[in-house]
Parts: sequence; C-alpha cells; structure tokens
Amino acid sequence: MKMKHLLPVLALAAAPMSHAQTKATADVDTLSTAEKELIDDSNFTFTESQLGENDDMTSDVIHITSNSNTYLNQMGWAWSGIWFKYRGLDNRYNDVYMNGVQVNNPENGRFTFSTIGGMNDATRSKEDVSVFEANNYGFSNIGGSSNYNLRAGNMPSGHKITLTGSNRNYTLRGMYTYGSGLTKSGWAFFGTVGYRWANMKTAPIEGMFYNSLSYFISVQKVINDKHSLSIASWGSPTERATAGASTDEAYWLANDYHYNPYWGYQDGEKRASRVVNTFEPSVLLTWDFDINEKMKLTTSAFAKFGKYKSTKLYYSGTNPHPDYWKRFPSFNYNVWSDANSEKNDYDAFWTSHDNWQDESYRQINFDDLYFANTQLNKVGADAIYWIEARHNDNLMTNLSSSYDWNINKGLKLSAGLQLLSNRGSHYKTMEDLLGGENFHNTNTHLVGEYKQTAEEAMYDMNHGYQKIIEGDRFGYDYDIWNQDVKLWTCFSMDRGIQHNFITGRIGGRRMWREGFMKNGLFPNNSFGKSGIAHFLDGGLKAGSTINLGKGHVITAGIGYEIKAPNAVNAFICPEMNNDYVQDLRNEKVVSAELGYAISNKWIRFNLNGYYYYMHDGNESHQFFNDDSHSFTYNSLIGTKKEYYGVELGVRVLITKSLDLVALGTYSDNKYIENTVVNWMNSNTTKMNKDLCYNKGMREGGTPLAAASLGLNYHIKGWHLGLTGNYYDRIYLYYSPNMRYESTLMIRYNKKASEITEDDVPEQAKGNGGFMLNASIGKQFQVAHHPLTVNLQLSNLTNRRNITTGGYEQSRSNYNVTERLDDNNETTFVKGNERSYQFDKNPKKFYSQGLNFMLNVNYRF
Amino acid sequence: MKKQSFIIALLASAFALFSCQDKDWETPESITTQPPYGNNSLVAGTTTTIAELQSKYAITISNGGSKQITDDLWLRCVVNGNDLGGNIYKQISVQDETGGIIIGINGTDQGAFLPVGQKLLIQLKDLYIGGYGQQSQIGSLYNGSIGRMEVGTWRQHVRLIMDNTEEAKAFGTMKVDTIDFDASKTMEQQCGRVVRLSNVTISGDGTQTIAPDDGTVALVSNCVNRTLSGGNAGSKCVLRSSPYADFKGIPLPKEPVTIYGIATYFKGTWQILARTQSDLTWVK
Repeated sequence: MKMKHLLPVLALAAAPMSHAQTKATADVDTLSTAEKELIDDSNFTFTESQLGENDDMTSDVIHITSNSNTYLNQMGWAWSGIWFKYRGLDNRYNDVYMNGVQVNNPENGRFTFSTIGGMNDATRSKEDVSVFEANNYGFSNIGGSSNYNLRAGNMPSGHKITLTGSNRNYTLRGMYTYGSGLTKSGWAFFGTVGYRWANMKTAPIEGMFYNSLSYFISVQKVINDKHSLSIASWGSPTERATAGASTDEAYWLANDYHYNPYWGYQDGEKRASRVVNTFEPSVLLTWDFDINEKMKLTTSAFAKFGKYKSTKLYYSGTNPHPDYWKRFPSFNYNVWSDANSEKNDYDAFWTSHDNWQDESYRQINFDDLYFANTQLNKVGADAIYWIEARHNDNLMTNLSSSYDWNINKGLKLSAGLQLLSNRGSHYKTMEDLLGGENFHNTNTHLVGEYKQTAEEAMYDMNHGYQKIIEGDRFGYDYDIWNQDVKLWTCFSMDRGIQHNFITGRIGGRRMWREGFMKNGLFPNNSFGKSGIAHFLDGGLKAGSTINLGKGHVITAGIGYEIKAPNAVNAFICPEMNNDYVQDLRNEKVVSAELGYAISNKWIRFNLNGYYYYMHDGNESHQFFNDDSHSFTYNSLIGTKKEYYGVELGVRVLITKSLDLVALGTYSDNKYIENTVVNWMNSNTTKMNKDLCYNKGMREGGTPLAAASLGLNYHIKGWHLGLTGNYYDRIYLYYSPNMRYESTLMIRYNKKASEITEDDVPEQAKGNGGFMLNASIGKQFQVAHHPLTVNLQLSNLTNRRNITTGGYEQSRSNYNVTERLDDNNETTFVKGNERSYQFDKNPKKFYSQGLNFMLNVNYRF
Repeated sequence: MKKQSFIIALLASAFALFSCQDKDWETPESITTQPPYGNNSLVAGTTTTIAELQSKYAITISNGGSKQITDDLWLRCVVNGNDLGGNIYKQISVQDETGGIIIGINGTDQGAFLPVGQKLLIQLKDLYIGGYGQQSQIGSLYNGSIGRMEVGTWRQHVRLIMDNTEEAKAFGTMKVDTIDFDASKTMEQQCGRVVRLSNVTISGDGTQTIAPDDGTVALVSNCVNRTLSGGNAGSKCVLRSSPYADFKGIPLPKEPVTIYGIATYFKGTWQILARTQSDLTWVK
C-alpha cells in the first residue's frame, strides 16, 4: 500500500522543478492517514506548543517545508524541540502570504505563527518555496516564503473532532472542524474552532498557564467558471503566562532546569507576573478571476486589528525579581577567581544558598510588594512596585493582486502588486499598582538629577505632574506608520533539460512616528509627527534547475536584494522621541545557492550549499543598564554579516515498510566586521557614538550544526517512528554593549587605539547534545469512519541540559564610576571588582525533559 | 439532529471554558494585621528605652566598641528616618520619648517597608550595640566594630506594630517629633532625632547642586558635606548628602534657609541627613 503511493512521488521528484504550488500536497499524499495526522500534529507542535511564545528573545523561527528537498521537508519538525532556525536566519527573512497577500508585520518584518495557532485544519494547505524557487505570489525571501490557501473550497469536507493531551505549553486541546466542500450551487463553507488549555497545576513549567480559543471561518462562492469570491476570518484570543531564562546558578539552586523566576505567591496563591494577552482578528477577502485557460488574476484584501499586551513587574526601588544578581550566593563569594578574594564572605554565601532552598525566597514575594506600597501610601509617596502592561497593537491593511500567465508549455509569467499600510500603536498602561495609591508619570531614572516634579522628569509635559491610576497610559505612547508599495514579476522557462527562472521586485516604503506624549527630556521632538522617511528598494534573482537524467538534478541560484530598514530599527529611541537613527540605510543582501539531488525508486538525496552576504544592516537593542540606572537604546548601523553552510537530506526506502531519513547541516553566520553603534541612556539627551567589537559574533539561540537519523516503519495501518537528533555549536545572544570600545577601554584601562580583538570577550555558548524522539500511530475504523490515534514522545532519554536559547547579561563585572578628566569632561573609570561575575552567568533556557503529545481525531 | 446538538454542546463548552485565568488580584487583607515584613510571633518581654540602653552601654559606645546584647531586652520605638529619599543608606533611625538611635540594616527600600511613623517592637537580645564615631548604633559585628546586620537577622528581631491593633496601645503617645538643633547638646540628646536648623546658610557658590557625582566636589566617605553656618548651626555642622539622593541635583540656595534632618555626629562634627526633598524647605 505504501509503495503504491510512494513510488509516484519519488518519480515525481526526478522531474524538473516547476512552480512549487504544483507539489504542495504531493508528498503528504504518499503517507498513510495516520502518518499524515502525525505530521500535521508535529507541525502543530512546531508552531504552537513550543515556539514563538517566548518574550525574552527572538524565538519565532522560520517555518517552511518543501516536497522537492528532503532536508527542508523534514528539518522543521525534526528539530522543533530545540528552536532550530533555518540557516540561522531571523524570522523576518521569511515571507508569509495568505491567498497571495503578505501578512508579515512590516514594522519588524516578522510573522508570528502563534497568531494562527489552534486552527491547524485551516492552515494545512500552503505552498512553500525556498529562496531560489519560482512562485506566483511574490519575490521569495532568503528564508523562503509560504502562501496559505484559505479558500473554503480548497478545504476538506466533513466533520472532524480532535482531542489532544500533552505536557507542553498546554495540557489539553480540543478542536472541531467542519467543511462543506464545494456544493453544486457553488458555495463552500469551512469553519474550525479550537481551545487549548493548561493551568498552573498542569503546566510542566511552574507558574505557567495557557488559555487560548481559536476560530476560523471561510466562505467561498464560485460565481461562474471565471469568478470566485471568498472571505475568511480568524483569530486566536490567547492569555498565557510566560517563563524567563535564568542562570545556571539559579537552576542549580532550584534543582530545576525549568526554574521560572516570573511567578510568586500572593496570599498563598500562585501568581504570574508576566502574562501575555493577544488577539489579532483578521479578515481576508479574495477574488479569483480566471481570465482564460492561461491567465489568472488573484486579488486579495487583508485587514488585521492586532492587540498584544504583555505585563511585567517593574520597580523604582530594589529589583524585586528573585533571580536578581544580589540574591545569589555568588554575589557574596567569587567562585570563579581569586581576583577580589578579600571581599569574599563565605558565611553570606551559604546563607544565600540556604535561602534559595526555600521556595518563597526563590519566587516573587507579592505580599512584600503590596506591603511596601501600602506602607508608602501612609506617607503619600509613590508606589515603588507595580505591574505595567506594554502594548503593541497594529492595524494593518494590505491589498494584493497577482497575475499569472501560462504563455505556453514551459513558459510562464507572473507579476503582482502589494499595497500595504500599517499603524503600530505602542504604549504602556498601568496594569496593577499592587496596593499603591500614588503614582506619577515621571521618569524615575531622572529623579535626583531633577526634582520629582521637574518638567525634565515628566514623561508627558502636556499633562504636567500627572497622577496615574490603573488603566492609564504612562511612560510612552506613540504610533509608527509604515506604508509600502511593491511590484514584482517572475518569468520561468523550460529549455531542454533546464528549467530557468528570473524574478525581480521594486518597492517603496515610507514611515514616520507620531508621538502622543511630550517627553520632558525632548520637549521639541517627541510630541506630534516626525519627518517622513522614504526608502526605495528592490531585488533581482535568477535560478536554474538542470535535469541530468536518471533522477540526477543540479540546482543553482543567485540574487541581489536591497531591503528597506524595518521601522523597529529606524528610530534611535522611539519610546522617547521622533529621531531617526543617524545614517540609516537600506540593507543589501547577496545570495547564492548550489544544490545536487538524486531521486529514484529507493532514494531521495539532496545536498545544498548556500552563501549569503549582508551589509549595511541595521539593528537595535534596548535593555535596562544597571550601571547607568537607566534604559539604554542602542542602534547598530551598517552591520556586515556572512551566512553560509551545507545541508544534507536523504530518505532511503529500505523495504516496502521501512524507510530511513538522515539530515544534517553545518553552518556559520557571523559579523565579519565591527559595527558602528549609536547609543543613548534614557536619563540623558546625549547621543554617544561608539564602535561595537562584534566581529565574529554569531546568531544566537540555534544550533549551527545539527544531525538527525530516523527510521519509520509502516505496517497494517500502524506507523512507528524513531528519530535521534544531535545538536552542536549553540551560541547565546551576544551582548553588544559589553563589546563597545568605550566598555573595553574601561574594562582594561586602555586607550581606544590600544584595544585589540584579543580584548573582546568570547561569545557565550550553550550545551548541545543528543535527543531521542519516538512516535506511534494507528488508524481504526469506528462506525465506518476513521479514528486516528497518535502518540509522540520527545526526549526519551530525558536530556534536560541541552540549551535551547539564552543571552549574555549586559552588565560588567565591576563598578563604573564617573570622574572629570584633564579637559574637565566627565569620564567613566573602572571601580571595584564585583564578586558576581556577569560574564560567567549568561541566562539560558533548557530543553524540556521527556514529554509527550497524545492526539486522537475522528472524522465523520 | 443528534450530531448538531453534540456539536453545539461542544462549541458552547469551549466558549464557557474560555475565561481569564489571571484574575483581578486584590490587596491581601492579612498584610494590615500580619505584615509580611518582620517577625509577627514576637511578644514583648522586659522593655527598655533608648536612653536606658545608651546609658547601659555608654562606655562601649564612647570607646567606639561594640557589644552583644545578652539580656532579654525589648525596645518600643518609632521610625523617624529611612532611605526613602535615597540619602540615608542601609540605615534607619528610630526614636522613643527618651532619645534616638541608628539601626544598621544591610538592605535597601527600608523607606518603603518602614515608613516614618512606623511603630516597631525590637527584640534586642543577640543584636550588637556599639559606637560608630562615638554615636550609638544597633547592628551586627563587622570586623570587630559595630556594622549593619543582615536583613534576615533584622526581620527576625523586629515586629511591625500596625495602627489600630491591640499591640499599638502599648506605645501610648509615642510619635515622631522635631526638636530645634542645638550644637551644645550631647549626642544622646540629639543623635537619631529629627532636628530643625533655622536661618542657616549652606556653603557653595550658589551655582552648585547639593551632591554632584561628577567629581566637581570631593566626596567624604562617598558623600558631599556642605558646611552649615549661621542660625542655630553652631560652629561644626554640615549638611551631609549622598550623590545617590533623590535631591542631589537640586541647586543650593543663596539665601539662609530652614532645613530638617536626622542629627548624627562623627568625630567632632554634627552631620545633618535630610531624609527627602521635603526636608529642604526652599525647594518648591
């Protein structure tokens, strides 16, 4: 049975590459229903139960697959357990479309997969292309592109109920789906509703919960042979608690690789301090116009009303987080060196150690925070602890039209237009004053330099010394507007054994900021509209597939692209003023790839090598700088990076029932030159120009080397799978400011000219390792309808010490003090060495131990 | 029909289940009577006063030494100074009707937990008392002298007495009061008390701020000392301010002013510690 399906697909793979949509579902059709369900659920796991929902770092990974490339086809879900990033690329290098309209958030370029979570049955049909594959919906990005087909007529008909139990992000999931299929009257309806749930008792990580409802509705009317209209709407209102990374010392003290510092007890009840609420209701209208047999026009209009709110415990007194560095034993005793052993306090070390054994010490003590604030009420002082909510809302509209012309056999032209407008609204609200009765819209980092009621310390001079109550906006409030226009075209042609394509795009972007608060430090450039920035960008790409016969295929591609900066990197400190980053420029990307594939009756083999060179990139980093007691806004300008690597994918049919899949990649991605950086603290108007010694720093949070070997066995409706994965070369996100020239000068007491690359700290790394996964599935017939049961077991050997992400701390191992130099200018000098060594204590996430997902679905 | 009913029931239960997990949290009622800060199980034994304590350990204090309190003594007092304004660092000052004393605690945010006016019951046994520059202080032993005690130790030895509780009655009319500074008084009479200095002039050229941290003024043990003269300042008195104080950047007045603060004494000089900006009466 399996061979019957598998062979045509293997044969298909030997054929020249054509437009990717023709292969969209082919591979899945070779699988049994049980295996199909299993893969679906794995993809589900990939997108929802593990990824894209960590706010401490950029963990949304690229999610593409391919039916012509075994590596692409398998790597996504094989390595999902460790947040593997395709080619080490940020998610913004992957474009996501729905019925031909692009839905990436233009402000940061990213698509958040969790916004389509819980609607698996609706998002199953999609067309993925890699960087050098032609398509009929856009100019593919270097991380590939995906186009979801959300037309009701395209969805499967019938009812389906899915029930899932898991010990991952959620504990239980239920979904119901109904599709009418296309009726004789030309109507089609499809709807799905899902619910995912975990509470603090069931979540595998303490202090977490998950609460998400999802809906998707699509209606299509085929008016006649030429015209069809469809409308789809979806959303996934979600409330979830988040977990934070911590240091190895914290994990050791808590004896738990999933120690989560973001929750605590209030009056004996567990309370999460960081809760995310999201709801991004979206609507998509599509008009399909089959002009004639060879020409087709697809026009879509998309609108999204996104709401994102993330809460955070904040303070103006002592940091109340339980993993604050001064609470650790190593704050009292330098366990790494004898550099300042005279300060070591052995007793305090063990007192702190013993304190950590008490759960109430290593979690947030909300009662203390309430008590402090209520005590302050007695003297009329402002609360020093509060929970604030950071909002990132967006109103996005996008209109696209794409034209597809099959000129004749082997000759095809596609072209299209995208018009996009996006308003990102960013503001902070007071979520909970934790018992406090007084709070003012004041920049507490400035109090001291100025009196509390001074205009300079006001976040909004238009409202004076403004009292804030729960629900009020404070701190910052501004919109970022993006308006894009894009034109693209793709021409493909078969010529002998070659299939060639060339594609290009040209686009324009304009952006501006509109501030709604008149910041006391920037009274003249924070309120109202900024100037409008304009960018012209575009790209050109060409690729070829050469069919050498007998299943041997060579692929090659080369491209050059100019990318307008994302607004998120365009403003130096948008929370405070309207100023653009100085010397802002378009990023340039050179890309090239060469591949070799073999496909025959028994084997499917792919070997690809790629090289990307990116320069003139822009990056921004923002963090709280304890050394300066303020937020630091950092803009890296003109980054230069290289990404390169090899990828191997092999699928071998050993017997009719047994196949073997092997995957491997070895890659590198790094800055190849140091980068100019502008930075500014939130307690000053001074802009600092510096040099970041980041040459050689690598993308963090992903293995740069990974391998996988798996066996799949299918017999009599059963599916059994066993896969071993090995990960290595995992780097943590580097801290730019620990590598600023000014920082290194203080650290080593050197002049700028004396700094060498030997002075630059090495980038922190995480642990790789081996992980074993297994799956078993079976399809039954119940009342003449298929009932499918799947069990997926991940990390069978319970390896908990594999690093899945993390970042270096942006703080020095010594105090920094100010003094006047010979020119009477304020300068910074190295003060006392601290016992706590920040550079030895990066914050990390670790892999979940043995975990499972049991999935049962019934179609009727 | 059966199928439809089932589906409707399923959808209804999905929506019914979807309710917020993060509830609206209220201030815990227990904190008004059983504060989470301190040791609520403490019950007063033999009480003493600040004056009695200073008298009992007078020699140790005047010698700059320190001694562990071994008697089962208890002190009822009220907080009159803390770190709310960022000027007093890892100390509080307390007073009763007989005098004032400094308590060294190795922790910050005491201004939030122990606001001015907070009544305290302190179990003195096992704590140390000594003289820091001949000024009395309660704390722990540090390199043979009196130092700050760890927050954990402090929390075990203190009970916060909340107003309107039975225990508060034992404090009678005890409250924070202000006395006029008099340079001729003894340390026992003024140290740890809130004092008022009237019509005093603060040294500086009128363009400087109270406690700049840019190196323009030499720091004395991490603080800026501004000489006070005229009025009732006497001959050796300074306004002592930290470069971390919330009022460090406030310009100095050119005219004579009235200042409030906690009186301390160090090696022959009176040092006045303003607690918050409101102690500097010229700042509007």
